[in-house]
Amino acid sequence: MKTRIFSVLCQNIPGVMMRISRDFTRRQINLDSITVGIEPTGLARIILIFKADDHMAEFMRRVLARSEPIVDVEVIEPERSIVREVALLKTRKLDDKKMWEAVQQIERAGGRVLESKGGVLVAELSGEHDEIERVVTVLGPEVLKEVARSGQVLISRETT
Amino acid sequence: MEMVELTGSKALFEALRAEGVKHIFGIPGGAIIPIYDALYDEREIRHILTRHEQGAAHAADGYARALGKAGVCMTTSGPGATNLTTGILNAYMDSSPVVAISGQVPTPTLGRDAFQEADMLSVMLPITKHNFIVHRIEELPAIVRLAFKTATTGRQGPVHIDVPKDVQVSKAKLKIPADVKYEKVVKLDPSAEDVRKAVDMLANAERPVIYAGGGVVWSGSSAELVALAELLGAPVTTSLLGKGTIPEDHPLALGMLGMHGRMVANLAVTECDVLLGVGVRFSDRATGDVRYFAPKAKIIHIDIDPVEIGKSVRVDLPIVGDAKRSLSAIIKGLRTQVQRGRTSEWLQRIKKLREELAPRMDYDEVPIKPQRVIKEIMEVLDDDAIIVTEVGQCQMWAAHFCTIRKPRHFISSGGLGTMGFGFPAAMGAKVARPECDVVNIAGDGSFLMNSQELATVVENKINVVSCIFNNRYLGMVKQWQDMFFQKRRSAVDLGKVPDFVKLAEAYGAWGERATRPSEVAPKLREALRCGKPAVLDIPIDPDEHVLPMVPVGGRLDEPILT
Repeated sequence: MKTRIFSVLCQNIPGVMMRISRDFTRRQINLDSITVGIEPTGLARIILIFKADDHMAEFMRRVLARSEPIVDVEVIEPERSIVREVALLKTRKLDDKKMWEAVQQIERAGGRVLESKGGVLVAELSGEHDEIERVVTVLGPEVLKEVARSGQVLISRETT
Repeated sequence: MEMVELTGSKALFEALRAEGVKHIFGIPGGAIIPIYDALYDEREIRHILTRHEQGAAHAADGYARALGKAGVCMTTSGPGATNLTTGILNAYMDSSPVVAISGQVPTPTLGRDAFQEADMLSVMLPITKHNFIVHRIEELPAIVRLAFKTATTGRQGPVHIDVPKDVQVSKAKLKIPADVKYEKVVKLDPSAEDVRKAVDMLANAERPVIYAGGGVVWSGSSAELVALAELLGAPVTTSLLGKGTIPEDHPLALGMLGMHGRMVANLAVTECDVLLGVGVRFSDRATGDVRYFAPKAKIIHIDIDPVEIGKSVRVDLPIVGDAKRSLSAIIKGLRTQVQRGRTSEWLQRIKKLREELAPRMDYDEVPIKPQRVIKEIMEVLDDDAIIVTEVGQCQMWAAHFCTIRKPRHFISSGGLGTMGFGFPAAMGAKVARPECDVVNIAGDGSFLMNSQELATVVENKINVVSCIFNNRYLGMVKQWQDMFFQKRRSAVDLGKVPDFVKLAEAYGAWGERATRPSEVAPKLREALRCGKPAVLDIPIDPDEHVLPMVPVGGRLDEPILT
């Protein structure tokens, strides 16, 4: 099933996330990513990423658009937008060789080390979801102790 | 109105009066006493004290359906509010505008499991069109305004307002009604392009059928529906909630579609080449297996709610818009092209099917056949009578056999199928339209689910008549067990009690029993004239099934007949 991205503009009121998430729960769809930001207008911008076939994706667009606190639902084509995710990584206590390998992996992916204390690295990585996914998989649970990920945020490209 | 200092409770009634509210169904309790204290001085709004909050919700729903305006119900927090939920979901499934107000524990104790606290914002969220909690008194006027606007705009539906007790007693300078704009955009006008395409499809149809539903009732477009049917020479079938949108004795009226629909309607939809669905949601109970639904037809679907379009059946031409405006636009377009009499062959076919498949009602047996009871009821009632139904066999007999001639004169729980809906909804309908005879077609099982409202109708002189189709069974479940579970009648036998005549009399209502077909009409006439709420107990043949029946997942043209 295709990955779908909706950019939902809605009132910034308590419960609005619950309204949106239960619309998906009811249709047995798992949301892969939810991020929320507040627009300069005071409205909330919620980015939803989920998998659905064409029929269900269009149905969900209409279901969301019907919801009273939702102002607009924009269907985002991944090609027409810039999608980014931020991950913060903390390693286990590593020996020099392992640490060197980890730094290589992180820096090759465009990340940087923020802290290194007693063999434990804290690093920051930002970029496309798949790239972050790749680095996290390569390092694996033997190297990584904790991973904090932002979920995916995006902005549409200028079309002119 | 100028800004005046009011308590939240006084402000609520000011705001309700500004919305034109005349009646409230409800029950007080601890967390809503300040609002009921303000009610003590209220002169314009009549409060009807029900005996269960579910009754209040159904009454508000029945009121809304009979009148076409929002019905209002009011309860305390916790159990009072949770008791509303079945009624609120029932209204939601059938797009009925109900505004429900409940008290709530004071805001400082919210979320701390205070006495009679229920998280009603979360509970009501999935079963309302929208819901609010009033955190500060200053928000109250705007929330009431928005609640009524939301309930009655576009696709209508219930809205819940939770009012914490401290908000009820706090004071503020308020302007009522609030200056607040309802900002949700609802597309009412169909696009010209869609209308042109619809006109084209309908004008070229050889075997058109119109399928009308509750949306036609709520948009008040029965006249347009009939005009379009006559202009096209298109027969009209309806959903359960669409009954009465075309007078059912009109030569083009086919009756209800679906599982327990009229055979002529089911066959017409199966044979038609263009099906115009208007204000319907193509419920699974109406379509049967969608792969065989209207298999030869191009489907045009008019609905005000875009979510409905393509949800259940394939649609060739979606039209998002208000039913009245869409039908008017199509009529206007057709007037320039359609030739009358073009579909005479189709109408001949329909006429023939209709005559061949006319339902039989003239049974003389004792115990009485339910079909005969409906026939007798129809003979007694005039066109202005409102028929309300409970849910199950009684409901499907009513839907199949009753001839309804006006919209809002057949009220039934469609989407949710709520047993216990009929009696309190009949009460609400009678309060809304006191000039009409209101008859609740009930099963004994359903009636017992809200029979406590006998106290309400007697105390408030709300003279509705309940005709109990008494087979001492949960009849529809029994029917399914008989038909699909080798007659293993599990947990459906309701035994011998109560005596419904004595039950009625215990409440001070009129109660009688009709055991022979010839007794039904005279006793019903007596019930309608007795000057009290009435219960007419009619023991019916306990083995009678609702037939024909299209089983779940079956085809409309292949019903079970015997």
